[in-house]
Amino acid sequence: MNVKEKINDLLYKIKNPERYIGNEWNAINKKWTNDKIKTVLAFPDVYEIGMSHLGMKIIYHLLNSNEDILCERTFSPWTDMEELLKENNLPLYSLESGREIRDFDILGFTLQYEMSYTNILNILDLADMAIRSKDRNEKDPLVIAGGATVFNPEPLAPFIDLFFIGEAEEVIVELIREYKNLKKKNYSKEEMLFELNKISGVYVPSLYEIKDSKDRLAPINKGIKDVINKQVVENLDKAYYPTEFIVPYMDIVHNRAVLEISRGCTRGCRFCAAGMTYRPTRERSKEKLLSLADEILKSTGYGEISLTSLSTVDHSQVEEITESFMDKYQKDNISLSLSSLRVDDFSVELAKKVQKVKKTGLTFAPEAGTQRLRNVINKGVSEENLYDAVKSAFNSGWHRIKLYFMIGLPTETEKDLEGIVRMAKRVLEIGKDIRQNTDKRMKKIEVQVSVSTFIPKPFTPFQWVSMPSKEKIIEKQDYLRDNLRGRGLKFSWNDPDLSLLEGVIARGDRNTAEIIETAWKNGAKFDSWNDHFEPNIWYQAIKDNNHQLEDLIGDIDLNKILPWSHINTGIKQKFLKKEYNKSFSEEITDDCRENKCTRCDVCHDLGVELDIIGDDF
Amino acid sequence: MKIRIEFSKLKGVRYISHLELMDTIRRAVRRANLPAEYTQGYNPHLVLALGQPLAVGMVGKGEFFDLSLKEKIDEKEVVVRLNESLPKYIRIKEAKYVPEKVKSLQAIVDTAIYSINFDYDKNKIDDEKILENLESKNEIEIIRKRRKKDDRRLDLRPMIYDIEIDKNYPVWYFTVSTGSSGNVRPSELIKALNERYESIKEVPLVNVIREGMFVKKGDKLLKPFASQVVRS
Repeated sequence: MNVKEKINDLLYKIKNPERYIGNEWNAINKKWTNDKIKTVLAFPDVYEIGMSHLGMKIIYHLLNSNEDILCERTFSPWTDMEELLKENNLPLYSLESGREIRDFDILGFTLQYEMSYTNILNILDLADMAIRSKDRNEKDPLVIAGGATVFNPEPLAPFIDLFFIGEAEEVIVELIREYKNLKKKNYSKEEMLFELNKISGVYVPSLYEIKDSKDRLAPINKGIKDVINKQVVENLDKAYYPTEFIVPYMDIVHNRAVLEISRGCTRGCRFCAAGMTYRPTRERSKEKLLSLADEILKSTGYGEISLTSLSTVDHSQVEEITESFMDKYQKDNISLSLSSLRVDDFSVELAKKVQKVKKTGLTFAPEAGTQRLRNVINKGVSEENLYDAVKSAFNSGWHRIKLYFMIGLPTETEKDLEGIVRMAKRVLEIGKDIRQNTDKRMKKIEVQVSVSTFIPKPFTPFQWVSMPSKEKIIEKQDYLRDNLRGRGLKFSWNDPDLSLLEGVIARGDRNTAEIIETAWKNGAKFDSWNDHFEPNIWYQAIKDNNHQLEDLIGDIDLNKILPWSHINTGIKQKFLKKEYNKSFSEEITDDCRENKCTRCDVCHDLGVELDIIGDDF
Repeated sequence: MKIRIEFSKLKGVRYISHLELMDTIRRAVRRANLPAEYTQGYNPHLVLALGQPLAVGMVGKGEFFDLSLKEKIDEKEVVVRLNESLPKYIRIKEAKYVPEKVKSLQAIVDTAIYSINFDYDKNKIDDEKILENLESKNEIEIIRKRRKKDDRRLDLRPMIYDIEIDKNYPVWYFTVSTGSSGNVRPSELIKALNERYESIKEVPLVNVIREGMFVKKGDKLLKPFASQVVRS
């Protein structure tokens, strides 16, 4: 059944119908023939968010680059579209062929954010499939998932048939070919999952259970691996990277060409999940980047290209790269943007070169208000770094500075909050001073202070640490709001309930799945959207499943077996514990980029190496 | 060098907005590697001007845009290169160079032909009779809804130049005034008929096609790049 065709005449009834039509430039519409394995990637949020996600695009184009694999896309329909589908008794469909999801062999979810998990259940439901793996039948697609938050798969374990742990570029095709092979042999789903679990990085949760009184998830039978190793791409230059990106009609969140210049970050901030789980750092070479950029711009027609990574400015060749890009593309009216700036002069100088004309705002993330707390979290930034950076930014014509901080970090005291206020005000003063003494015309100085709440994440040194209570979070936010008033200052904060629940899911176990299911059944979806988030549904779901919020966000004993202990990201728990202890004695750990191995063991354990292009050692 | 281009916006992209269409064309021009002119200044962007916006949901079969090129490229080649670079639901039909100082599309296009599929059973309804009755009226008054302003009474009659009905389908062709000197909205035509004739149901805008955009010279409807139009 072609659902897309059936619903097309009715799309005028809803908002943003262009989310549901596909037909974009570079979208791939393969013929449905018997020799192909049919896969559909599902992103558990709306089109404009999903289409801004690099990981999904890489997998889409990678799978379609294989003749025997067909890959299409689907996204969470907004509530008006969900109603329209339901009113017309139509299931969710893919944007390319318009077929219903159940027609596919494999349905793959992109995991990107804990608070989008209810949307995963909703997509399964809208596809007319059972929520739980065990209730689905042989004809239903195999449901797989992977992505940024997959390193703790347990909160989704009952819903997903198979997880892929780590970077999928190299093994995903092998996985699908093996599926094809097993399907030909008429294996049942159960037999198939058992076989697929043998592939590196593949985790079939139904093959693991908690035995006896131990908390460790262990294989249900002999002959099943007991640890699942994260998969990593060894060499980014050799890794697959798409060039014929889909060009959406809709003005999506990141509406530009995207070039991933490196993967991983060596800084070792102790709160940062991505910084730990994407280790080791690997860079693409300047030559490779230039040739990719050429092809991408040619095939997409974008007028802007963004260099992205967890820490773009850390690329060892970043100056040469930006210079070459400017030389090459400025005359074609193609602009360049950098995704993340370090708090220093160097970054501002670089931004200055890149943004010759349109100087809107610059963002810096000191994360904490005192040197003491920055040492605790291992954020290697000093107050002087920040003031130098903003001085040079204001002097170069920027008038708006955005500062990122976190509250609720371990060991935080009033002094640390005072520090946030002091730094923000100092930045404002520096700006005002420069504005008063310059001959150039400068808009009014604006300092935006954006404060998020610390959330302990698996595989970070802070995975054992508690979150503050809701009352404490509100108290801290109130203090900052009261003290960050006045002309030129703007304060923004995160919903405390949303942060707490993200914390619950991030460190959740298989029991957390029950909470997610209950919340979804009671109407939770699009939780990360302000107008949809209903914390009370979640708090009720926690109660209904006989849990207490305080327990779920509390301290975890260092000796307890963690729900994600069967997943190996390469980083040893020993290293995380050492980092945990160092944080409380306010000791910093160096960046491993400078030829100083910090013994996290990733390189050794996964058989890959830190790959710094400009490194001659 | 200004080139005026006729294109269709087909069913597969009928839900994209005017702005989204402009972005799509801009990117296609880049992909086609045409030597397009960019605006000067801080934030250079491609010089591109479209005609009157087409409502979201409608197909357009004779739409227009103007583009400026830095060097002359054969008109037929412009058509081929753009078609190779556009999603298949946007098709370039024809391109013609026009004098640099020609009036903008929005300024000269004054007539549009809309076809509306009223979706009734041709065997059960005598549509020609309805049309006869409609044409005999001296006035076709409607209430125009206006954004942030009060509703206004408006007579459509003088702005409707011609109505024809398809022989085999319940499709009506309306030739109407469009643009700043008097604009008839297809939704108003639908409403006007629905209010007056019980058998004509209110149909959504997806049943409407803008068949073409013209410049009216006496009784003649000319395309906006016709020599009689661009010369004057």
